[in-house]
Amino acid sequence: MTVRLDPRTKLYMIFVVSAVVMMSATNSLLWALRIVVTILPIAFLIMEKYYASALRFLILYVTALGITFTCLSEKSTGFFMAFLLGYCSIIVQFLPAMITAWYVLRTTKIDEFICVMQKMHMPDGITISLAVVMRFFPTIKEEYTSIRDAMKMREIMLGTGNVIKMVEYRIIPLMFSCVNIGDELSAAAITRGLGEKVKRTSVVELKMKVYDYLLVILFSVVLIVYVVFRNVK
Amino acid sequence: MNNKKLQAKDFITIGIFTALLFVIEFACGMLGFIHPYIVASYVILIPLLGAVPMMLFYTKIEKFGMITIMSVLIAIIMFVTGMGYLGAPLIIISGLVADIIAGMGRYKKSKNIMFSYGVFCFWICANYFPVVVTADSYRKNLLDGGYSKQYCDNLFRAINSKTISVLLALCFVFGCIGAFVGRAAVKKHFEKAGIA
Repeated sequence: MTVRLDPRTKLYMIFVVSAVVMMSATNSLLWALRIVVTILPIAFLIMEKYYASALRFLILYVTALGITFTCLSEKSTGFFMAFLLGYCSIIVQFLPAMITAWYVLRTTKIDEFICVMQKMHMPDGITISLAVVMRFFPTIKEEYTSIRDAMKMREIMLGTGNVIKMVEYRIIPLMFSCVNIGDELSAAAITRGLGEKVKRTSVVELKMKVYDYLLVILFSVVLIVYVVFRNVK
Repeated sequence: MNNKKLQAKDFITIGIFTALLFVIEFACGMLGFIHPYIVASYVILIPLLGAVPMMLFYTKIEKFGMITIMSVLIAIIMFVTGMGYLGAPLIIISGLVADIIAGMGRYKKSKNIMFSYGVFCFWICANYFPVVVTADSYRKNLLDGGYSKQYCDNLFRAINSKTISVLLALCFVFGCIGAFVGRAAVKKHFEKAGIA
């Protein structure tokens, strides 16, 4: 079964998860909700056939969670324990947001994203720039990999020679290629009428389906529970 | 560039440089995993490394609004990656001020660009905001959550309200130094190639 979520639902998911991550979970109900909120994006990742990354996220999260729960007590003092707990709590704290962001980034197509942002009447500047940012992370990674390979051929590697040279020889070529790609990208976009005054039409048609509404309701409930607990306490 | 308003092409450039800046921030952020105290050195590392793309960015668009939009984007990305919304006002205000300062020099005068970049670097401090502003309640939460007192003391020894002003000052100073370094790098590499 494949469930393709509406991008609006995904954006709402990001919003809720980021907000929930900011608030601390103090009792078991809040922890349970937080875990649910984390497991859901992983489940969606599996549904969209990103098995490897889903598994990786799951293992990382479960391990960190397990360590936090088993070792966390008044007695856990000492350097090593403090260290371990520090890492695990960072992971438990931030991984839900990371997973959700990663899921949305991977499964939302750029045209869908722009269409949604236009429907929500966001200013053009933010829409276009954000879309470019989303598109660009994989490109930067790709470029960086090839630059690193080229530098290896010249024996400029991490840990050899001076640091300034190492950094310079990586950042500068990366910027060169990014600027060039940007020029090509804008040429391609402008020929398709991006940035014109007229209202653009879109090939994708967006519709909220039943499970979209269900998810929105679920996440709203989670958010409300968190806010209530925070203020009542 | 006769047209004073930002065009679609400029938005794309903004997006690219935001992505570059964020990749640099992320790379520095990975270093923070080695030891928590390295987190404090973000204020030195990110202004210096980020200066290279930023200085190129200043030469690329030269229109009002470019840094403001960038700061809004950074605020959004920070929120999405779980850094919270507390830092967002700081990021956007520093972006706006940086824009105004650079605009007074018409995005050309090196002195204005230097100060503008220094101000823009305040956004890095937004990383610490959730911890610093809510330090007391955060500490209480940690203790309630069962962390040992020693761990909390260790964590909060370096963090109090005085630290944030020191961090802000450091951001500014290293932003200005970074601007020099970045300009030198841009001169050396990009002007020769005719990109800047």
